[in-house]
Amino acid sequence: MHLDQQDPPQSAGYWRTWYLLVIGWLALLIILFDLFTRFFS
Amino acid sequence: MSWIDWLVLIITLLGTLVYGIWKSRGQRNIGDYFLNSGPLPWYIILFSIMATQASAITFLSAPGQAYTDGMRFVQYYFGLPLAMVVLCVTFLPLFHRLKVFTAYEFLETRFDQKTRTLTTILFLLQRGVSTGISVYAPSIILSALLGWNIYWTNIFMGGILIIYTVMGGTKAVAYTQKLQLLIIFAGMFLAGWIVVRLLPPGVSFTDALHVSGKMGKLNVIVTKINITQKSWWQDKYNIWSGTIGGFFLALSYFGTDQSQVGRYLTGRSLKESRIGLLMNGIVKVPMQFLILLIGALLFVFYRFYSAPVFFNDNALAKVYQTSYSGDMHQLSHQYRLLDSVQKKEVYALVNALHRRDPAAEAGAQSALKLTQVRAALVRQQAVGLIKKADSGADTDDTNYIFLHFVRDYLPKGLVGLLIAVIFLATWGSTSATLNSLASATMIDIHMRFFKKNGSPGYNLQASRWWTLFWGMFCIGVAQFAQGLGSLIQAVNILGSLFYGTMLGIFLVAFYGKKIGGTAVFWSAILSELMVIGIYRANLVSFLWLNAAGCLLVIGIAWTFHMGRRLVRYNQ
Repeated sequence: MHLDQQDPPQSAGYWRTWYLLVIGWLALLIILFDLFTRFFS
Repeated sequence: MSWIDWLVLIITLLGTLVYGIWKSRGQRNIGDYFLNSGPLPWYIILFSIMATQASAITFLSAPGQAYTDGMRFVQYYFGLPLAMVVLCVTFLPLFHRLKVFTAYEFLETRFDQKTRTLTTILFLLQRGVSTGISVYAPSIILSALLGWNIYWTNIFMGGILIIYTVMGGTKAVAYTQKLQLLIIFAGMFLAGWIVVRLLPPGVSFTDALHVSGKMGKLNVIVTKINITQKSWWQDKYNIWSGTIGGFFLALSYFGTDQSQVGRYLTGRSLKESRIGLLMNGIVKVPMQFLILLIGALLFVFYRFYSAPVFFNDNALAKVYQTSYSGDMHQLSHQYRLLDSVQKKEVYALVNALHRRDPAAEAGAQSALKLTQVRAALVRQQAVGLIKKADSGADTDDTNYIFLHFVRDYLPKGLVGLLIAVIFLATWGSTSATLNSLASATMIDIHMRFFKKNGSPGYNLQASRWWTLFWGMFCIGVAQFAQGLGSLIQAVNILGSLFYGTMLGIFLVAFYGKKIGGTAVFWSAILSELMVIGIYRANLVSFLWLNAAGCLLVIGIAWTFHMGRRLVRYNQ
């Protein structure tokens, strides 16, 4: 079976929150990795 | 390997194989074979996407990459979460709305048949060759462990893979990937834990991190920026090439490569596919960080335990059978002597760290670095001998470093499990890819040019034959994969040569509403030739090729389009 639309459509705000979460998570990781690099060098 | 390892290896592999075949029983048509009869929830899509990307190469080559070049390779994944977001906004709703089997079907609706066929061929070429390299990776293990001939091992491994894929199809791949990933994570976690546990008494995990960092292996973030210098563009991994180049690479890979598009098209709904992709964006970077960390810790581990002058035992054994044997013995002896010097220096560094004595730390650090340089020179001579003894020998041992550790230092039973992990990763990744190669060939080539209205039974049978064809193609490529160096880098370079152009075609399709098929077709061919030219001239690091290819297609297609409009206007 192919992609269908069994689920009710999500609001734009719902997906915006997801996207911000993913981008925020990446930013946090980069900051933490930078601290990690500096601390152990 | 002990009999316990063999037992663990065989039980794990057979168990997964049988489970996959049992789960996927009852396929009746091409839809079942390629897209499943039951739609999948987001977490299965996530496992499927991750396992497709993470082949044996990831687990075999990535720790070696960190061992030799440090952890900066992780930056290449920074573009991935951003690409996941862009995919969810653009590609995914469109593929969902059009209900396509392959990403390339859309291109015929939007442009024409020749553009669809060209993109399919670009995908098949690139993916076929890189899958061949993925088949080669586990063959390295078997040939290293058992001393088998690498060519026959490739045929054996490829054969198992073909049977697995032909019997099961996508569903077997998706369901076993969940199991495979669980075993893979458990195995890698145990390997990392054992590296730390085997460190000498008095050397803690934090000490190991400090030593690794001081030796430049924890260079996770490299921010230097100097775009006026050619060397900056040629620098393989820094945060800029990683985020920008990695973004284009990930967007092309997940948006235009059927091996990934086929995974998330099996979602229960658009929502499930979206969450699967976004979760991939969340877990991928930390996962790669941890895998690379194993390599950075292995580097410290081998400062305390002696490392061989070259990690590929088979290549060394060949030298010992030639007249260069005496020279190699001498070099190995020199290397061991330097090893014992390094051991003293690394202890001095750890003691200085414990005493919090910056002057002693700096002294030990520079002494250790100097010995490293001397050891590297000896190693270079050894590599020279390997090349002299066998001109076709693989002179890069990056892919053997982790394997060497697994074989020599892991407890009985766990060696078998880790080897199984690497095999499972290969099956998970390459069987999904074989499936996608077959589906693209079947739907975009066979059903367009050979037999449009075949019966469901005929189409299923033909799909299986195409799987067999691509399996054999991959085995053929695997026979030539020796000497490519770090395999994880090799497959990414290969992808970068083609992905930019493919992405450019899709972006023109989405956003260049007035640009026609002929303009995009010729711009794609021109761009591909230019990308290959840029690569051959070594103008930029490979990650930038993705952005270059994409922008070239868009730019040239737009110029063609405007030129034609101008000509028409003048007429």
